[in-house]
Amino acid sequence: MGSFDFLTTLDLSTPLGLSAALAPELFLTGAALIVLLFVAWRHSTAADTRMAGWLTAFSLVLGLVVLVGMGVAGTRAEGIPQMMSVDQFRWAGGAVVLIAAIATVLLSIGYLEREGIVAPEYYVLIILAVIGMLCMVGAADLIVLFLGLEIMSVAIYVLAGYDRQSAFSAEAALKYFLIGAFGSAFLLYGIALVYGATGSTNLQIIGTQLAGAKLTTMAALGLALLLIGLLFKIAAAPFHMWAPDVYEGAPTPITTFMATGVKVAAFLALVRVLIQSFPEAAVTWSPPIGILAAVTMILGNLVALSQRSLKRMLAYSSVAHAGYVLVAVRPGTPYGVAAVWLYLGAYTLTSIVTFGVLQSLGRSGERDVTLDRIAGLAEERPWLAFAMTVGMLSLLGFPGTFGFMGKWWILSASVADGERMLPVVLVLTSVVSAGYYMPVIMSMYMRKSPGAGTYADARLGRAGATVVAVAVIAVLLLGFWPAPLINYADRVADSLHTIYTSQGR
Amino acid sequence: MTEFLAAIDFSGWALHALVVLPLVGALLIVALPARWARGLALGVTLVEALIGLGLWWVFDPSLGMQLRVSIPWIPAYGVNYAIGIDGLSVFLVMLSALLMPLCVLSGWNYIETRLQGYYALLLVLLAGMIGVFIALDLFVFYVFWELMLIPMYFLIGVWGGSNRLYAAIKFFIYTMAGSLLMLVAILAMVWHRWHAMGTISFAYDDLLAYAAIGALGPLKPWLFGAFFLAFAIKVPVFPFHTWLPDAHVEAPTAASVLLASVLLKMGTYGYLRFAIPFFPAEAFAALTQAVVLALAVIGIVYGALVALVQPDVKKLVAYSSVSHMGFVMLGIWAMTVQGIQGAIIVMLAHGISTGGLFFLIGMLYERRHTRDIAAFGGLARVMPAFATVLVIVSLSSIGVPGTNGFVGEFLVLIGSFTTQPLAAGIATTGVIFAAAYLLWAVQRVVFNKLDKPENQGLKDLSRREWAILLPLLAGILWLGLYPGPVLRRTEPAAQAIVDQVRRVMPRVVPPSDLRQN
Repeated sequence: MGSFDFLTTLDLSTPLGLSAALAPELFLTGAALIVLLFVAWRHSTAADTRMAGWLTAFSLVLGLVVLVGMGVAGTRAEGIPQMMSVDQFRWAGGAVVLIAAIATVLLSIGYLEREGIVAPEYYVLIILAVIGMLCMVGAADLIVLFLGLEIMSVAIYVLAGYDRQSAFSAEAALKYFLIGAFGSAFLLYGIALVYGATGSTNLQIIGTQLAGAKLTTMAALGLALLLIGLLFKIAAAPFHMWAPDVYEGAPTPITTFMATGVKVAAFLALVRVLIQSFPEAAVTWSPPIGILAAVTMILGNLVALSQRSLKRMLAYSSVAHAGYVLVAVRPGTPYGVAAVWLYLGAYTLTSIVTFGVLQSLGRSGERDVTLDRIAGLAEERPWLAFAMTVGMLSLLGFPGTFGFMGKWWILSASVADGERMLPVVLVLTSVVSAGYYMPVIMSMYMRKSPGAGTYADARLGRAGATVVAVAVIAVLLLGFWPAPLINYADRVADSLHTIYTSQGR
Repeated sequence: MTEFLAAIDFSGWALHALVVLPLVGALLIVALPARWARGLALGVTLVEALIGLGLWWVFDPSLGMQLRVSIPWIPAYGVNYAIGIDGLSVFLVMLSALLMPLCVLSGWNYIETRLQGYYALLLVLLAGMIGVFIALDLFVFYVFWELMLIPMYFLIGVWGGSNRLYAAIKFFIYTMAGSLLMLVAILAMVWHRWHAMGTISFAYDDLLAYAAIGALGPLKPWLFGAFFLAFAIKVPVFPFHTWLPDAHVEAPTAASVLLASVLLKMGTYGYLRFAIPFFPAEAFAALTQAVVLALAVIGIVYGALVALVQPDVKKLVAYSSVSHMGFVMLGIWAMTVQGIQGAIIVMLAHGISTGGLFFLIGMLYERRHTRDIAAFGGLARVMPAFATVLVIVSLSSIGVPGTNGFVGEFLVLIGSFTTQPLAAGIATTGVIFAAAYLLWAVQRVVFNKLDKPENQGLKDLSRREWAILLPLLAGILWLGLYPGPVLRRTEPAAQAIVDQVRRVMPRVVPPSDLRQN
């Protein structure tokens, strides 16, 4: 790269290097302020809200460009990072978060208009949540991780309750807030205990302190509480109780955002903390993660089987998918990390499709969309039905979709680590999941619609429809030709592992 | 012919064309207006059939695996789009390709709704079927294996009978349960090999070589179990057969035909290609062999007995499939060259005969909208041509000498008699039962009195229906009277499988089958 080396290998002791390292977050913070100013000035009509939405989408896309640029350039920093890591893992994770956020915003534009919600601050909150998520994904210090989590959570609490006319939305917000505060307390206590055990909150310094020795009781307790705090956000069993109600009550685009962005950020933060700070995986966190993965998969899939509302079914299925990802977290190997990232990407793209279609079918929160309410959709709206089918098959992990590649990677990572039981539990619960994904397809294609014109008003808006179409194409394309992404995933995983190995693990 | 095919470099592109052409055809059908769907589908499948037919001349039995191509797919993880054919797969590929135009014709007038979807799905199904038989990379194999589920699920669920929803989801979940466990087994082999050798490869040859050196150790019984289950559900081996009658009965004619003629063969093909060569010691351990033989024989007798009492003629044929596939299992697990060759011939013969029966039942159903045997009787008087064809196809399904069914079942029985006299002895009764249930059914449908007024105005075979049946009749007689060329082409493949097993388990192979060196 020659003269541009100062942009790819940052010197964090100079102001320029430091700002370059924080470029995506700084840029988005500026964007949030600009959008905030805009909505303070124009906030009374639907057109203002739409304008704020487009402004937000535009700045998120620019943010994505910055992130991808840093990823392509392979930007990294010298020495142990103090607060924010500068590595491929951060760029890759941030990109998934931003894709989720952009989709959420574009889906929201049509949704807010349809539901008659005029409140452009909505979009400012989304940008703020994204900043929090980026901090979580990049955090090199437990304090930054906690700050990121809080910035994200507070914004999402408000967003979950954004539909002020709906009691369910308010219930969702309150529930999420109370449980979230509870989870944050666990996390904070965990950080305090880990600090007590090691004298540091920096992930890599903790890692060098704890390497090669058995965990002290204090460190083990700290690890456990840290895990619980993050698993709350991930909605892994047994910390998932809030998820179905909150997912169901929140406005659907926000549900999409919670299932994708929040989950991605929490999972990637979890992976970074576990791998960088607790290197002796096998004797510390692998066994409990394995058990939780199994419980989450079994519980999520079995309960999803008995749901009538599609939105609630997708919420439980989201719990199940958290279980799948935990299977890939368990080995703690580069393969596992690559699988986590790939699967989160697959799940994000797929959720954009499924929740997007769901959003088009319902009214006032989509609580009433059941299997009967989508009967015969394929006859009237073949493309909506096709998109939903691709989404369902990808969630099921069917060949030809990105979801299959993701699941295949998780199985690979798990099997490669010598694990036997978890892969079997994973595939058996996947079979169970066919029991609730396939009926959706069945209802759309194989049953008669209640009457002509039933689905005439199923609308996504042009922006939303484009997002769903792009996501469908991406899911199919990456299902057939994942090779480039898989090569990249290996680089992502290596960037996380090389750091502490270079310090003589 | 051979020169002509060489001149157009047929062997270079034939296998690619067989997979790609239907997929392109499916896209075209969806993209173009619905009124062109039928014609387009027929055109594509006819070209496919021609290409499939060309394999007959290109295939050289002395070469083993041939027409091999390997294209990198996911290079970092050793996944290649690797394909090829040998004596085991070439006829299954040909069967799939040749049956397809007939299947398209079978729904020509009857399928009226969502034409584009129907024909596009048939073509995707064709690509999947051929892909399964030619895949030489386990990842590719798995992808094709699963990919077929979707078109079949839709064909049953959208164009099927009254209970189609239940049948479709049952078919889907049964098959998927087995195949996902197989996926875990495949991955376990691949990563085990990676730990030992440092490279990742899904290639059939690499995994076969790795399995042969015995490094998998205590994992082997589990891996074999996973493969066995996946294929057993597909075959279906008793007691995993319960999805089959439902799926067969509810499916539209073309789907029933493909299900019986091709999809069931994937299970037995899987045993011959993967499960047995990978794990000969597990497959032919004394207990496993006894259990599989017992299940095969139970399948033969049970399928036949249940078929005997079916009031629904389609269900009768469905259960007869369970019985016939039992013969294939018996032939494979007898582990003689004759037995395996017999198994391959039964696979082909059953494909032609049972496919033919399903076509004929479909023609009846289009006329009367019932499949109840009791609703017919005396059809020979109004439909003499139909009755004649039905009798011939039924006789071939029973295995009367001179028809294809005889050659296969006879080879299986003499092949298994040398090593497994008891099982072969019981299996023989299956042939007798087959005569009982089919002849009795034929008697009630086409003979007896023409006493139902609804049946008196039925039209005999149309030209389209003749076009479907004549190729099948030709296949029945040709395979029955002159099976030599087919046997010559399959023999090296059968011998190779026996050799593979003999190297590990000399006990199970009779001395007469040792290759003369």
